[in-house]
Amino acid sequence: MSAAAGAGSRLAAGSTALQADWVRGRARPSTLVDLTSLEGLRGIDQFEGGTRIGALTTLADIARGVPSLAPIIGEIAGPAVRNQGTIGGNIAWRAGCLVPALLVRDARLEIETPASVEETDLSAWLGRAEPSLIRAILLPTLPDRHRWTFRKIGLRAAFSPSVINVAGLIGFDGERIRMARLAAGGGVVAPQRLDESEAGLVGRTLAETDWQDVHRRIEAELEAPGDRVRSGRYRRRVAANALVHGLSGKLPSGPARIERRNPKPASPPDEIRLSREQLADRWFVRPDLQPKISGELAYMTDHREPGMLVARILRAGLPHARILSIDIAAAEALPGVAAVVTHRDIEGRNAFGIVVQDQPALCHDKVRYAGDAIAAVAALDAATAEHALALIEVEFELLPVVSDPLAALEAGAPPVHGRGNLQRELALDRGDVEAAFRTADHVVEDVYVTPRQMHGFMETEGGYAVPTAEGGIEVFVGGQHGRRDRLQLSRILAVPEEKIRVVTSPTGGAFGGKDELTVQPALALLAMKSGRKVRMHLSRADSVLAGIKRNPMRIRMKTAVDRSGRLLAQEVDLVADGGAYASLSPSVLETALEHACGPYVVPNIKTRGRLGSTNNGTCGAFRGFGANEMSFAVECQMDRLAAACGLDPIEIRRRNLRAPGSPGYFGQAVAPTERLSEMLDAAANSALWREPSGCAPDGSEVYGVGMAFNYQGNGLGTLPPDFGGGSLRLAGDGAIEALYGLDDIGQGLIPAVQSAVASSLGCGRSDVRVIFGDTDAAPDSGSTTASRGTHVVWQAANLAAPGFSGQLLACAGRVLRREPELLEIVEGGVADKGSNSLEPIIHFADLAVALEADELPAETVSFPFPKSDYVAGNARYILISGATLARIAVSRITGQVRVLDLHMHTAAGPMLDVASYLGQIEGAMVQGLGLTLLEDTLIAEGQTLTRNLDSYMLPSIQDAPARTAVFALEDLDPGDTLGPRGIGELGIGAVAPAIANAIADAIGAWPAITPIAPEAVLDMMDRRS
Amino acid sequence: MSEITFALNGEAISISTAPDTPLVDILREHLFATETKLACGIGRCGACAVLVDGRLMNACLVRAFQLADKKIVTARGLDAVPEAAMVREALAAESAFQCGYCAPGFTLALIALLRDHPDADGRQIRTALEGNICRCTGYGSIIRGALRAAEAWRQRHGVPLPKP
Repeated sequence: MSAAAGAGSRLAAGSTALQADWVRGRARPSTLVDLTSLEGLRGIDQFEGGTRIGALTTLADIARGVPSLAPIIGEIAGPAVRNQGTIGGNIAWRAGCLVPALLVRDARLEIETPASVEETDLSAWLGRAEPSLIRAILLPTLPDRHRWTFRKIGLRAAFSPSVINVAGLIGFDGERIRMARLAAGGGVVAPQRLDESEAGLVGRTLAETDWQDVHRRIEAELEAPGDRVRSGRYRRRVAANALVHGLSGKLPSGPARIERRNPKPASPPDEIRLSREQLADRWFVRPDLQPKISGELAYMTDHREPGMLVARILRAGLPHARILSIDIAAAEALPGVAAVVTHRDIEGRNAFGIVVQDQPALCHDKVRYAGDAIAAVAALDAATAEHALALIEVEFELLPVVSDPLAALEAGAPPVHGRGNLQRELALDRGDVEAAFRTADHVVEDVYVTPRQMHGFMETEGGYAVPTAEGGIEVFVGGQHGRRDRLQLSRILAVPEEKIRVVTSPTGGAFGGKDELTVQPALALLAMKSGRKVRMHLSRADSVLAGIKRNPMRIRMKTAVDRSGRLLAQEVDLVADGGAYASLSPSVLETALEHACGPYVVPNIKTRGRLGSTNNGTCGAFRGFGANEMSFAVECQMDRLAAACGLDPIEIRRRNLRAPGSPGYFGQAVAPTERLSEMLDAAANSALWREPSGCAPDGSEVYGVGMAFNYQGNGLGTLPPDFGGGSLRLAGDGAIEALYGLDDIGQGLIPAVQSAVASSLGCGRSDVRVIFGDTDAAPDSGSTTASRGTHVVWQAANLAAPGFSGQLLACAGRVLRREPELLEIVEGGVADKGSNSLEPIIHFADLAVALEADELPAETVSFPFPKSDYVAGNARYILISGATLARIAVSRITGQVRVLDLHMHTAAGPMLDVASYLGQIEGAMVQGLGLTLLEDTLIAEGQTLTRNLDSYMLPSIQDAPARTAVFALEDLDPGDTLGPRGIGELGIGAVAPAIANAIADAIGAWPAITPIAPEAVLDMMDRRS
Repeated sequence: MSEITFALNGEAISISTAPDTPLVDILREHLFATETKLACGIGRCGACAVLVDGRLMNACLVRAFQLADKKIVTARGLDAVPEAAMVREALAAESAFQCGYCAPGFTLALIALLRDHPDADGRQIRTALEGNICRCTGYGSIIRGALRAAEAWRQRHGVPLPKP
């Protein structure tokens, strides 16, 4: 059939693997032969001694129809793919997860060649080169007395690429092993039978078998290459572990005995556990959820109008090169192309950046990372735009690539920018660390490494732009601070800010990754040049390549204590990858160092931080913003020091905790309501300490519990300008409109505003209409970043409420001919103060109708975000605290870590909206879990190797902890007027150290490199046992 | 280019497109049916999930040539499914989503599960949703919403509770 279709054709069954292949650059076939109409290739039928499975049977149908394969099918891809993918395709793909299991079952294939229809062994077929069509799989029945095992080892718990899959089957004659089949395959591992290892099993009983020897044989025989994520050694080792444990229940070495010092119970603070059931009267359904669930809500990348142009961006593709020429003539001449823009179309400053403007909107002289934008095209459709990109000719002169931030700082390193590569250096020296290290009883030192985490928002960057008649522009692109985006666009376009409207909400996730400009400049330039509406939505691959990531950090930390566990000194040397452009990386570095001692008092400190420019993509803001990276180091050090001193994890922290009200890390005044010892008490009382530790009954896993503290600032700090603001007004239809220049990035802005306005005015939540994320519609409130939104929402409502209420009651008094002093705002309208009914005597809608447009009450406020008195560097005033506890299971087979329980105790003042608060903490915890165990964007020599969500492992639902619990301590100190604190970042801060400390509880050693490599965990276990 | 005819949410659609055009592009680019979201484009996140003849599939992996005479249901097409309203309500009640971009896909996956397994327990719910990625919530709220939806579904259809 394929032969008839001609060379370059490809057979397609379910065709689920095609898309990934094509995206990876594999050539599209000239002809795709759809096999699905071949009815003879379907169905599951029993025959004497086995089951015949038609090659076109979907994996989902096999899971239902062939019980012995069902558990294996469940390990392949996800449900939607299993509904489409077929067993024939899984085999023909050769990397399919199922193949090892079919090999040990002695499966045969019914195949069709141009010459004949025949039956062949699967193993023989795998070695054949000539083309054939698989018609069916013939699966022999399992032997009467047998043991069989299958294990897929992936990169995460479900829907994962395969690291290696193994299958083993032994059949018995009495007690003796009569036959043995062992096989491996999957991913980069070619499907293979392990004949010699099999031979070593036959003829003995299970008890007589030397499983250590079997293990050695498997490791020696298995051919498994390494790749960038897992070594060949790891693959061979876990394959042997899984086969030996699966067949015998044994592992080569026993688990180490780890002693845990459980904390002493303390008197617990008055926390509440957050849930809808517990807090029914404070649980509200978010108004934006139903339209999001139904699909009715259009994100800005969903906006469509007939005649809109579609845009694409030409990326550098090279990490470091000088641009010699850019020729767009052929692209411009392509029919259907409306506009091509390059640096030559930029009338203003071709540079942007939130603090330092060093990133070109479209490169002119050189490119500094592979995702750098060089040109953009707007065309009638996407295909034409993509075709036009291919016609743009750019001549480059290659420059040496700077791929390591430390090497970048060495003399003679090629400069990424005109200046040297040291983007920022910070140092702090206090006391005498060297003297303290000399006299200390215990000193602990390690280098902690954190990854290039990707924000992974589900909606990639995009939106649309509309040119206005007045020579201005409207830009609708998800963002985190519309006013600042407008300012940045004004600089680039040389268009006054008043002529630019920026709409930034709603957006499908941000986490800091939409704080800097993304596609706005290209969209605006194209819309202005073409005079037409233009839309663009980055492909995931483009987003991965071009988007900002978390700054990878290497933190060398050396900490000393005396015999009683009191901290004496700490030395920190931090090197962060700054990437190609500054964005907020210098601030991230500064924030990391600001948190260098956590909430602990350390008399002697020496810290140094350096940010090195590289060609490794771009980096900048990401939830946690350096603080979580530093907490990973600090909180692991605390547990290691506790172990050295023989203290429990709570006690060592208690001995070193800063006193409430004492000066902050820089000697600055800090906000009240610290709640540090309360959070320690909560952690000490956690039920997780009482969960079983040690080894699972089947020997496959060891359990551990760990805790870590988070102490994190709110707001931008002392140095950057930081103002909040907002407005309240009565709309013509009677809605109380609350206007904020903040963004809904998913965190729950709408319910937070409704809560704050309702409680400050006395109206109902549903009386409040929230207007946000639009520079033309709402006043500036500052950025939706740095956990600052909550305070801004609450403070603006508080400050605007008296003026607005006064105006509204005065209006109501006029309309009702009553004294305003005798009226009050209630749910739905205005009521008599004296009456107890709370029934409005006039509804807001009726009041609005009775007023002239210029009489409608309105109040706008602006205020500085609360700041400390320290201006020698950036310091936070409001710091909030929390304690995270993790209970984990470490697999002794694979070294992988499962998080069973993740608890967080938080103290952040009164909660504006319980559901959103819970959601922020839970979501941040799992994002932290991803950083700790799964996530990294791989870059080598400046080339981004991670392309999409098939290789970047966002946590799946099966990676999420089995149980989570979030607790809140809401009370404020007397006289604390700061109200609710922002908790957008609190949840992520202590997850990595809590998990690392739990691993140490389980295996006796601390992993210091994240994401934690299972191979490193296995090695640590080896050294301990 | 070839002429493809299929049913979208009960409505007959006939379009002319290349046979290898992914359904997600047909929906979002040709028909402007943007309730089907696009997040990875290679079948690894479930944002573009649809029902194809009642079965959950990723619209980025289904191609025009596979669509002939198929019945496609998107998130908006669930308006016509009687149980959808209570599933959506249950998810909203538990504040299941935040940014919401993954929500239509999760809802379709959940409905596909509950229609076949109204007695689904927490473990089955996790398994059924393992092809859908959410970056905001950490999944806890989605699981609570799904359990609530399953409970509502059982009450409506008189299905006994799952075994403990």
